[in-house]
Amino acid sequence: MVRLRAPLFITRHVLIALVVGGLGGVLFMVFLMEFDHFTSSNAFCTTCHSMTYADEAYQKSSHFDSASGVRASCGDCHVSEGVFAATWDHAVGGKDLLKQIKGQLFGPDYDDPVVNALHLPEAAFAAREWFRKRDSATCKRCHTLDAIQGKRGGTAAIHKEETQGKTCVDCHYNLVHRPVPDESTFKREAWNRMVEEEFGLPTGRTDELMAGH
Amino acid sequence: MYELNLSRCPSASRAWVFALMTLLVSGPLGAAKVKLSADQWGHPAGPDCVSCHAKASAGLTQQWQESAHQKAGVNCMDCHQADRADPDAQEHEGQVIATIVSPKDCGRCHTQELAEQQGSVHAEAHALIEDRVPALAHNLTGSAMQAAGCDQCHGSRVRVRGDGTLDPATWPNSGIGRINPDGSKGSCSACHGRHRFSKAQAREPEACVRCHAGPDSPDKEIFEASKHGMIYVAEKERMGLDSSEWVAGRDYTAAPTCVTCHMGAAGKLPSTHDVGLRDAWSLNSPVSERQLLLILEDGDKLELPASAPAPKRGAEVRKADGTTGKVKAVVTPDRRRQAMNLVCQECHGKAFTEAFMQQFDSVVELFNTKFAIPAKGIMGELYARGLLTPTPFDEPIELTYWELWHDEGARARHGASMASPNHAWWEGMYLVGRNFYGRFLPEARALAGDQAGQVVDAHLQGEGHQWLANPNLGSRILGFGPPEPEAPADASEAR
Repeated sequence: MVRLRAPLFITRHVLIALVVGGLGGVLFMVFLMEFDHFTSSNAFCTTCHSMTYADEAYQKSSHFDSASGVRASCGDCHVSEGVFAATWDHAVGGKDLLKQIKGQLFGPDYDDPVVNALHLPEAAFAAREWFRKRDSATCKRCHTLDAIQGKRGGTAAIHKEETQGKTCVDCHYNLVHRPVPDESTFKREAWNRMVEEEFGLPTGRTDELMAGH
Repeated sequence: MYELNLSRCPSASRAWVFALMTLLVSGPLGAAKVKLSADQWGHPAGPDCVSCHAKASAGLTQQWQESAHQKAGVNCMDCHQADRADPDAQEHEGQVIATIVSPKDCGRCHTQELAEQQGSVHAEAHALIEDRVPALAHNLTGSAMQAAGCDQCHGSRVRVRGDGTLDPATWPNSGIGRINPDGSKGSCSACHGRHRFSKAQAREPEACVRCHAGPDSPDKEIFEASKHGMIYVAEKERMGLDSSEWVAGRDYTAAPTCVTCHMGAAGKLPSTHDVGLRDAWSLNSPVSERQLLLILEDGDKLELPASAPAPKRGAEVRKADGTTGKVKAVVTPDRRRQAMNLVCQECHGKAFTEAFMQQFDSVVELFNTKFAIPAKGIMGELYARGLLTPTPFDEPIELTYWELWHDEGARARHGASMASPNHAWWEGMYLVGRNFYGRFLPEARALAGDQAGQVVDAHLQGEGHQWLANPNLGSRILGFGPPEPEAPADASEAR
C-alpha cells in the first residue's frame, strides 16, 4: 500500500502560507464584492454633493418610481456586472472622486449647481458612449428584448422588428437624468444661455466660467 | 410690371391685374407644378421611418400613406430632415430631424406657394400683433391664454430651449403666422391638415373655421348664413373639391368657398397663396382703411393705408417685424378690388358685382364716419387730457371701445363683405349702434364731466347723429308713440 505523502517542498511554512493566502484571497474577493456593492449604492454615490443634482432628476424618473416596485440604483445602470468589471468601473470612476476633490482647490467645482449644469452635457455624452460600447449591458440586467410588451399596441412589434443593429441606448436616452441633446446636434451656445436664464446670470457669464476651467 | 403698375389708367386695369398675377400667383391649379427634380426627394431613410411609425403612430402614418406625397415618393425625411446646425435639429434613430416643418421646408418643392405666402397677412399674423398681445392676453387674463388662444391662430414665436426641446409655451402650434426656428413665418399645416395634405380638405370652408370664428371674424358663420354658403351645402358634391385643377367657372360653378374668392383661380385669374391680395379694405382695424399692397424687393409684402401718400418704387419702408425693405411695386386698392371682382364675375354680371361692392363699401364707410372716427377722436381726447390712464383695459370704456370696433364693428364689416344680412345688421352694426349710444357715449361723458362739450360732443357733429337733436320723432317700433291712423272709410277722405 502506497502511502500518500505531500511532496517534499510542502513544508509547514508553505502550508500555512497556502492556507493564509487562500483565505486571504477569498476574503479579498468578498471584500471586493462588498466594496462594489456598497459603492454602487445610491447612498454612497450621493455622498458627493455634485451627485445630488443627478439624484434629483433620477428621483422623478420611472427608474426610481416604477409601478412594479422595481428600483434601479445608480450602480445597477452605471456599474458593470461581475466583480472584476465592477471593480474596474469603480477604479475608472475614481477619477470623478479626484476631480471632485480637486474642484475644492482649483478647476471646476462640480458642487456648484451652475458648473454642474454647464458640464453635464459632456458627462452625458461620455455615459452614453459607455453604454453603447457595452451594448447596453446594464439595461439588459433587467430588460429582456423578447419580453418587452409595452402598454401600447405597437411597442412589442417595434422591439421585435425595428431593433436590428441597435442597442437600447441608441433610442432610449434622456430617460433618467436632465435631458441633454445628442452630441451631434448639441449647441454649447444655446446650452449656456439656458443655464444663465435658469440661474439668473448675465449673458456671457457661463462662457467666462467655462473658459476659466 | 412696373410700367403697368405705375399706370393708373382704368382701361389698362384688366391687363394690369393679369400682369400682377403673373408675378404674385401660381397657375390655375391647386398646387403649382413642382420644379425640383424628383431625384431630390425620396430620402433613403424614409422607409425605416415608415416601418416604425406604422406601429408607433399608426394614425399619422396612414394619413401620409393616403397622401399625394406618398404617391409622388415624398417620405417623412424629405420634409423632416434637418441640418445639424438648425436650432431645433435633433438626433432621432440615427437621423438628424426637426419636428417643425416650416414653410421654408415645404418651399423646397413648393417654391411658388412659398413666394406668394411670404409677407401675406397670414404669414405676418403673429408679427403684426406681437407687441399688442400682452396688453390683452397677459393683463386681462394670463400668459397661458397666449399659448392656448391667441397663438393657436396667429401663430407663436417658437422658442427652442437650450437643451434642444421646444418650449411648451410656444409649441405645439400650427398658427398661420408662426415664427419658426429657421426664421420663416407661417405654418402650411394651419390650412393643410397634416399628414394627408388633402386638396379637398384645404378647399372646404371648414379649413378656415378654426380661426375665422369668434366675435371679431365669424367668417365661417357669415359664409354659412349667406346665399353662397347655403348653395355650397346643397351642392357640395358638384364642387369638384378633389379635382387636380380647380378653376371657378370652369371646373366648378356650384358655389364659392372661402378659397374661391380669396385665393382660388377663377376664369383667367390665377390662384394665389397671398390670402389678402384681393382685399381692398382693412376690416379689422379701429377705422377701416383702403389699403395699398407694397411688394418688396426681398419678396416680402406690406399693407399700408391708401390715405397716406404711396411710397415710391425703391423707397425704404419699415416692415411689421421692424426690419426694412425696398419697395418693388405698389398695388392700389382699386386693383385689388378688380381682382376680387373677376372672381365674382365668373357667376355674376359686372353691374351686379359692382353694385354689391358699393353696398359693402357703404357699410364700411358708414362704420367709419358715424362710429369709428368719432369714437377714436373721443378716446384720443380722453387720453390726451389725462382722463384715461395709458394702460389699456384698466378702465371700463377701454373694453367698450375695444368691443365697438374689434368685435361688433368687425362683424358688421365682415357680414357686409360676404353677404350675411344677420351679421351685417343684428350681430354687427345694430350692436355697434347700441354700444355707441348706450355705453360708449355715456361712459365718455361721465369721464369727461364738464369737458364733455369738447371731448364728446365736438365729435358728434356728423349728419348721422342729428336724430338725437329731435326727441319728438315718435315711432311705434317700441309699442308706443303716435296712435295708428284709423282705416279711412273712403280713401278720398284720408287726412
